Amino acid sequence: MKLGSGLPRESRDVFFLLATIAAVVAPHVPRLPVWVQALCALMLVWRGWIAWSGHKLPNRWLLAAALAASTTLVLLNWRSLFNREADIAFLCILMALKTLELRARRDAFVVFFLGFFLILTRFFDSQSLPTALWMLLVVWALLTALVLAQMPVGQPSLALAARSAARVTLAGLPIMILLYLLFPRIAPLWGIPADSLGKTGLSNQMSFGAMSEIANDDSIALRLRFMGPVPPPGRRYLRGPVLEAFDGQHWLAQEGPRAADSLINSGEPWRYEMTLEPLRMRAIPLLESAGGAGAMSAGPYVLRRGPELQWTADMPVTERLRFTVQAWPEQQAGAQRTHASLLPDLQLPAGRNPRTIAWARALWRQPRIAALDDSARPTALAAAVMQHVREGDFFYTLSPGRYGDTTPDLIDEFWFDRRLGFCEHFAAAFVVIMRAAGVPARIVTGFQGFDPEPVDGWWIVRNSNAHAWAEYWVPGLGWQRADPTAAIAPERVQYGRALRPAPGALERLSPAVWPAVRGLWERLDNRWQQMILNYSRQDQFDLLKRMGVEEPDWVALGQAGAVVIGLIALGSASIIVWQRRPHDAWSRRRAVVLRLLHDLGLASATHESPLRWAEQVRQRFGARGQILAELLMSLERSRYAPSGARWGWRESIAWRHRLHAAGRMLQAK
Amino acid sequence: MNPLRQRWQKWLDARHPRADVHTMGQNNIYIVPSRPGLFFCLTIGVLLIGSINDQLSLGYMLSFLLAGAGLASMQATHGNLRGLSLDLQPPQPVFAGQEVQLEIRLHNAGRARFGLGFRVSGTPEAAIAWVDAPEKGHAVVSLRYAAPARGLHELPELQIITRFPLGLFRAWSLWRPASRLWVYPRPESPAPAFAPQQAGPEGEHAASVQLHKGLEFEGVRPYRRGDTLRQVIWKKAALALETNQALPVRETHAPASRQLWLDLQDTRGALEERLSRLSAWVLEADRMQSPYGLRLATRKIEPELGAQHRRACLEQLALWS
Repeated sequence: MKLGSGLPRESRDVFFLLATIAAVVAPHVPRLPVWVQALCALMLVWRGWIAWSGHKLPNRWLLAAALAASTTLVLLNWRSLFNREADIAFLCILMALKTLELRARRDAFVVFFLGFFLILTRFFDSQSLPTALWMLLVVWALLTALVLAQMPVGQPSLALAARSAARVTLAGLPIMILLYLLFPRIAPLWGIPADSLGKTGLSNQMSFGAMSEIANDDSIALRLRFMGPVPPPGRRYLRGPVLEAFDGQHWLAQEGPRAADSLINSGEPWRYEMTLEPLRMRAIPLLESAGGAGAMSAGPYVLRRGPELQWTADMPVTERLRFTVQAWPEQQAGAQRTHASLLPDLQLPAGRNPRTIAWARALWRQPRIAALDDSARPTALAAAVMQHVREGDFFYTLSPGRYGDTTPDLIDEFWFDRRLGFCEHFAAAFVVIMRAAGVPARIVTGFQGFDPEPVDGWWIVRNSNAHAWAEYWVPGLGWQRADPTAAIAPERVQYGRALRPAPGALERLSPAVWPAVRGLWERLDNRWQQMILNYSRQDQFDLLKRMGVEEPDWVALGQAGAVVIGLIALGSASIIVWQRRPHDAWSRRRAVVLRLLHDLGLASATHESPLRWAEQVRQRFGARGQILAELLMSLERSRYAPSGARWGWRESIAWRHRLHAAGRMLQAK
Repeated sequence: MNPLRQRWQKWLDARHPRADVHTMGQNNIYIVPSRPGLFFCLTIGVLLIGSINDQLSLGYMLSFLLAGAGLASMQATHGNLRGLSLDLQPPQPVFAGQEVQLEIRLHNAGRARFGLGFRVSGTPEAAIAWVDAPEKGHAVVSLRYAAPARGLHELPELQIITRFPLGLFRAWSLWRPASRLWVYPRPESPAPAFAPQQAGPEGEHAASVQLHKGLEFEGVRPYRRGDTLRQVIWKKAALALETNQALPVRETHAPASRQLWLDLQDTRGALEERLSRLSAWVLEADRMQSPYGLRLATRKIEPELGAQHRRACLEQLALWS
């Protein structure tokens, strides 16, 4: 690496550190406010200029003032230091400020530690393969900076330091793999952080029109692998929380004891395996209609079917889960419900949305609907509303703007005035209309649709597939699904894709190549997710099982760890012993002979020859020592023989055997 | 020193027998985490807690990657010293007040080693002399320290330190070299005039010796111990060697008549000052090639010249008490 070879050592090291810091901060830049970006850039450039021109570093008072000023700015901006965004910004500022204080090489340590925290904060946003590669590179660079700080002599090349850092990292790799495999995956230690950003995804409540725009979060929510046929696109509904209580703006799930829907499934079930990303909520989205028993276990959790047929875990899911379930194509849900138990599904906030209610009641009384009997009338009404959605001026968009700024009648505003919205607007309006006409109805949230093509057999459901639809109740038939979004945006339901953003430049350039590249990449990323990131407590226990542990648990995991640590210690100890042992046959034999002669009470020395030792033996033991003396003489002959006549290992062992026998004989008397 | 410390020191000294060659291995390398190393542990702990709380698989990976690298660096730091062999050039005698310069040679049979620090135990961090040892090669590092008071001293304990590669661990080894160091009394400066010469027991000239600057050629005599090589008449040397005779030497002045006695009794004041003066006289007389003898109370070194004589005199002065 010829990089910066023309610079004096100090400047070169500073430039290297600055480049490393820039690489650490870079991925955070889009999320930082402009003033933080500017501040960091300014400080890094300033430090670079100082290194280049050889000027003095700013004095400490100035730096302290800069630190105080930026802390105040951060506090003003976020009103707290205990906020993820604020922390990231603050870390970036600290890191940049620290460079202006880099005097001794040991200051590299501070940058080093701050750098690791910044790397970790990056993972909140992304744990993809590119992020992992970025992590590797940045850690390597940081370690290289550290190695440079420990090379005080001369001008060591960056390549040399980088090699040393790589060698150490590679040597540590087995430890990393072992820890990754065996370190117990425990549940979060305290409160589970919730994301406050408006993103697509599953939620326990719904606020009508509160979000003016919703970001398409393309991260993966879950994956499905079917053992057998795959449900057709129109049936790919994954049921999540069911929302019934409506106060004019918010939709909430019911709580407390309530009547449960009965469930009768029929048809040929779809069996599938599901990997569920940690959605940090209790709701478990399952393909409709999941059934069988009312409870099952998945990893450490117990999943139960709720009264509204949604599935929930006993605590928020914070680790990836993998389990196998089935779904039935035909269902009859809640057919036996009494009208009294359905009252919550008829409630509307008093006095709100008069226009919609009047419109719904007028439709209900239209002769073509009024003429039908009780079990056909709700279905006819639903069909009429769907037709209205399809033929009216409604528009499906992810950025409909906020509702409710001018009027408290949000549904009126949507249904008659603006007519812009996405799934939750349409579903909410549908439910309000049904209820206004006296038909019990509720909102179901969850996911709808998969990626068009499976990856390695896995069908991917992304957070952008989050969806809301409606159910209305028909006497004798029970709950019926109605998805008004299918009426306004059929491709949303048919192809499983939400509105896609405009195609990027690459996609326009070569429409044929890009999807192939993207597909390959997604496959790689999927492997990464499945095999590395998804490694969970369940997999740990499976691994133990494969290693022969009958009933894997924490204790077994600990024992496995202890065994591995013991083996490593034993291995290292043997390596040390092996290295300390003389590595030529002569030295080893000499050590054996000297020990034996010492035990026999002879003061033989290392520098003497076997001939001399033999004489000593003869002097001490006379004729009795003849055998031992002969053996020593044969050692003498072997020692000074031409290399071809040296002993092989067989002769060596036989000789040693006889030596010890002779020694024992002399000792015995 | 309290008895506990004394025992500890005794035990330590027994662990490190004095030796001229120091080969570092498992039994004489010590290693502990450095302060940044402890912070590193703390950092990994915080990273791990963060990863657990947010269930970040990549966070686990980062923490374990660092933990692995840290542990491997312990091995690497130890390995940076292990197998390295040191020896010492016998130290040259010095005068009190001067600096001792130790030339330590490193013999490296293994991979290249970096950031090896040498210091006399107990001196500050800034006094460390750093050196790298090339792969399968040698290196020399010279270490300076202020000479102790006059006398024959054992060399101080040396410490060999390294933090390479990551600085998370500090490995060191202690070496107590077996060589001894002569420290002569500090010569008085500027050199004082010689004391008036007493009539020696052999009845020599009583008058003070007139010291000649330019030495006159006065004759030829056979080589005697203590003659400088400059005095040898090399032109006639070959012939003398052939005929198995002593080398002919140019005689500058009659040694018998110019003998100089340097006597402790001729000096006054504190003992160290008096020895200082004698030391300066020895050097001056040696510089002028004027044979001199040393008399310290009852002890006496007969007048002579030459490096060996000079050393004998100075050693005598160094040990005198």
